[in-house]
Amino acid sequence: MVNVIQQLFNGLVGGGFLALLALGLAVIFGMLRVVNFAHGAFYMLGAFGAYLLLTEAGVNFWLALLVVPAALAVVGMALERAFVHRLTQLDPLYNFLLTFGITLILQDLIKVRYGNQSQPYSRPALLDGSVNLGLFQYPSYQVFVLGFAIVLCLLVWLLLTRTRVGMIVRAATERPELTRSLGVDVGRWVTPVFGFGIGLAALAGVLAAPMRAVHPMMGSDLIITVFAVVVIGGLGSIFGSVVAGFGIGMAQAVGNLYVPALSQTLVFILMAVVLLWRPTGLFGREGVLT
Amino acid sequence: MREVTRRSAAVLATGTLLLSACGQGGPSDDGGEISNGKVVLGLINDQSDVYAELSGENSVEAVRMAVEDFQEDNPDSAIGEIEVVDADHQNKPDVANSKAAELYDQRQADVILDVPTSSAALAVANVANQKQKIHMNVTAATTELTGESCNKYTFDYAYDTYMLAHGTGTTVTEKGAENWYIVYPDYAFGQDMESSFSTAIEEAGGQVVESDPTPFPNDNFSTFLVKAPDLDPAPDVIGTMQAGGDLVNLVKQYNEFNLADKGVDLAVGLMFITDIHSLGVEAFSGVTFTDAWYWDYDETNRRWADEFQERTGTRPSFAHAGNYSAALQYLEAVERAGTDDSDAVVAELEGYEFDDVFARNGKIRAEDHRVVHDAYLARVKEPDEVSEEWDYEEIVSTIPADEAFAPVEDTECEMG
Amino acid sequence: MSVRAASTALRERMDGAGVTERAMRARPGVRWVLLAGGLLFAVALPWLMYPPIAFDIACFALLAIAVDLLLGYTGLLSFGHAAFWGTAAYTATVMGERFGAPLPLAVLAAVLAAALLAVPVGYLAVKCTGIYFAMVTLAFAQMIFFVANQWRTVTGGENGLVGPPPELFGIDLSDPFLFYYAGLPFILAGIALAWRVVHSPFGRVMVAIRDNPSRVQALGYPVHRYKLGVFVISATLAGLAGGLFAISHGFASLQEVYWTTSGKAVMIVVLGGMGTLWGSVVGSYLVVQLEYFLSGAGFGEIGLVTGSIFVVVVLLFRRGIWGSAQHLLRERVQRSRVPAERRSRPGRDDAEQEGSAP
Repeated sequence: MVNVIQQLFNGLVGGGFLALLALGLAVIFGMLRVVNFAHGAFYMLGAFGAYLLLTEAGVNFWLALLVVPAALAVVGMALERAFVHRLTQLDPLYNFLLTFGITLILQDLIKVRYGNQSQPYSRPALLDGSVNLGLFQYPSYQVFVLGFAIVLCLLVWLLLTRTRVGMIVRAATERPELTRSLGVDVGRWVTPVFGFGIGLAALAGVLAAPMRAVHPMMGSDLIITVFAVVVIGGLGSIFGSVVAGFGIGMAQAVGNLYVPALSQTLVFILMAVVLLWRPTGLFGREGVLT
Repeated sequence: MREVTRRSAAVLATGTLLLSACGQGGPSDDGGEISNGKVVLGLINDQSDVYAELSGENSVEAVRMAVEDFQEDNPDSAIGEIEVVDADHQNKPDVANSKAAELYDQRQADVILDVPTSSAALAVANVANQKQKIHMNVTAATTELTGESCNKYTFDYAYDTYMLAHGTGTTVTEKGAENWYIVYPDYAFGQDMESSFSTAIEEAGGQVVESDPTPFPNDNFSTFLVKAPDLDPAPDVIGTMQAGGDLVNLVKQYNEFNLADKGVDLAVGLMFITDIHSLGVEAFSGVTFTDAWYWDYDETNRRWADEFQERTGTRPSFAHAGNYSAALQYLEAVERAGTDDSDAVVAELEGYEFDDVFARNGKIRAEDHRVVHDAYLARVKEPDEVSEEWDYEEIVSTIPADEAFAPVEDTECEMG
Repeated sequence: MSVRAASTALRERMDGAGVTERAMRARPGVRWVLLAGGLLFAVALPWLMYPPIAFDIACFALLAIAVDLLLGYTGLLSFGHAAFWGTAAYTATVMGERFGAPLPLAVLAAVLAAALLAVPVGYLAVKCTGIYFAMVTLAFAQMIFFVANQWRTVTGGENGLVGPPPELFGIDLSDPFLFYYAGLPFILAGIALAWRVVHSPFGRVMVAIRDNPSRVQALGYPVHRYKLGVFVISATLAGLAGGLFAISHGFASLQEVYWTTSGKAVMIVVLGGMGTLWGSVVGSYLVVQLEYFLSGAGFGEIGLVTGSIFVVVVLLFRRGIWGSAQHLLRERVQRSRVPAERRSRPGRDDAEQEGSAP
């Protein structure tokens, strides 16, 4: 039993990454109708950003946790202004293709500079070692990651429900036509929201650096899983993305334990089931996706 | 269908005519000479992806060193000009396949060396067999090259999964770590390693408490690390067959769970010196693994490594030395045969025994074309033991050539 | 650009083929000259370049045409065609290796396998529209990748699967020069099928679904079933291409089912021009040649180049190569036939400027 609980806990940690990425993807999609393929690439850049700051400037993890997402958010905003913006009036497929191209470029730029080997990044000293969680011992850093991811999701939730900006974003995400027809000026929030979503991806990347291999391709396989997560949660639903992220994380951990052969296909099988049962995802609404 | 056949038959006829007109068709039958008046050594390897540092362009340089050394030692050689050509397969078997055909056909390569990544290597071996040209594989790990997929023109030079698994599994078990927990990535390489490893452990008197496949690629190994100390009996050592990025993940998380303090050691199935170099010696210190060659093993190796460093700016991996040696042995076989005709060279290589900077007690087995030589059990040094860059390994013991590789009686190879 | 202009652009786009056709009908010789020229080029290709690369071009052209049937003609971006291409590649190789099947039988089995896989995947995927469809197909293809990776007894897993040297009725085709001519008729048949589909009443419904699915639904057409039909046809063609590709290389590997292969197919379509069919042939020629050249030149970071192509084409050149050529031709024909005042109709230039949607 303890074993199973511990596995579920593992799943939550892995799910935290999925949730943060899915959240950013959902917010961007909500505001811009853009599925950002480059989300995985920014996750990778986040990890490399932390690595770069540490090796080139001696900036520690904690500072990187602030600086890197902020810097990449700015990059994201520039990207939105320079490219994505030009295509938002056209079929969303164009932006999907654009961000796919950007992904290939970013990956290879990093590869040119650092090669395809993994780069070392050690845990912050404060979080070395493990903590006793009552039932079992667990690495402090992973506990921190989980706590951080949950707090972050809650903060984003508060931001979305308690502030005016948040309400606009949420309204635009979940009821786009209605929001626009009510005369709300959604346009001015587009760029900051895009940057915010990118920032979340970068943050996930910084968090990943001490516990996962930092290499140029680290985001590209993950992003496909995140797509499946978002499809399961409902692309139009911010809440659904987060819930599905944690849920899939746990499902994968349990799958690892009982049916290792299936653990990678599990998320896609779940996606197929959800599509059969509720084509708009568990928490999605009709009409958001057309 | 008949329409199609007739059309293609007509086209076939034209094609054949054209081919014979151009004189490209068929292998040369002018045995006893050097075809095209020169010997062409080809390399196909990964110059842009994960194995670029392990082998890559520096292996091309190593082969050039072999050519120079050969020419120096054989001033009156019958071989006139020697050319080195190379291609990047980007770790894609499709590309490797096309490049192999191109190197053999268009650039007149007589032999193709290196070819990391098992899938790419098997593809190239297949092309070599079809074109009846030689392939000496250095950097791929699969035993299939000398097993089920063996062929007359393919040689496996440096190492394979059997060598890695047996070296580490046997030696570590014999040193007292009897209970093993094995985690392996669930794909061909990992499965091969797992079965070799388990056999080796059991033969050495140990037992595999449990053995778990993991997803590949995977970035979260907590599931497996968490359960390790609770197994019954508690394992003395975790044997991991992960490679590359996954290995890095696993080692990071192994350290995070402090398993070393709980008395669970870590043995690694496949590790290259370039992995240690890129992640730093701290990440791996104390880990045991098997290496095919180490640059600082003795004076001979070191001298060669110095020369290599002068030309490339870095220390050689086993792959660089292996390519050097393979090129040298190929050239000497051509010299002995007096021709670069593939069949004649194969006959010279088969059963040949030699010693060079890479291969100690080297022998090219005729039965399965496995090149056997001494292998080394290495331990990653502690940070304070490192005295210079690339000084990462302490050679714990030497595994003699006739024990390092799968016994020839067990081979599944049926040379056609 | 206003929503109106965008929808004009869409309609415009839908007429695109029609206009060219009209232009061609105006000069009946043109089509035949083009077709004959194209065929001649296809037949001459292995004389002009390294034969295996010539056949790769043909295979990727057919794969891209399959993707274009969905993307350009039905408005569905499939980012998962590697699943069908790869499944067929494995099937063809297994048929040859295990059962010694002759070339036509191996190809047939490959095509059937791809079509069979397309039914459930398509059934689930066509429930989704727009960008959702792209994500779902990508996800399913990734699932097939993992299955291929695990199912080692059949696929060889990471090691890949080596097939026998190709032969046809006792003639050894291991020379790529000869194989090109054995494989080309299959590819041409695939292209002809695609052309036939597009120019049939079925094809008209496809285009109508692309432009206004609700209207088509209202008219009583079962939109889902039509979409599924196109999906299966498209997957079948992708399977034909993938099977031949694997036989020609004597090898099938995980590369065939990886997302990069799907991405490459989409890039070929976008570069050549969506909704043009022939654009895919041009795109394939350029992309395969470029990759071949770059890898030969020791340039490993192909993503920098292919990624840039994506970005540039999507931002500045949405019609693609063939689409732009068509556009120029159309303008010329119009200039010579249509009175000046119709050409300068307001709003139209705007729509053309912005390019068109798939």
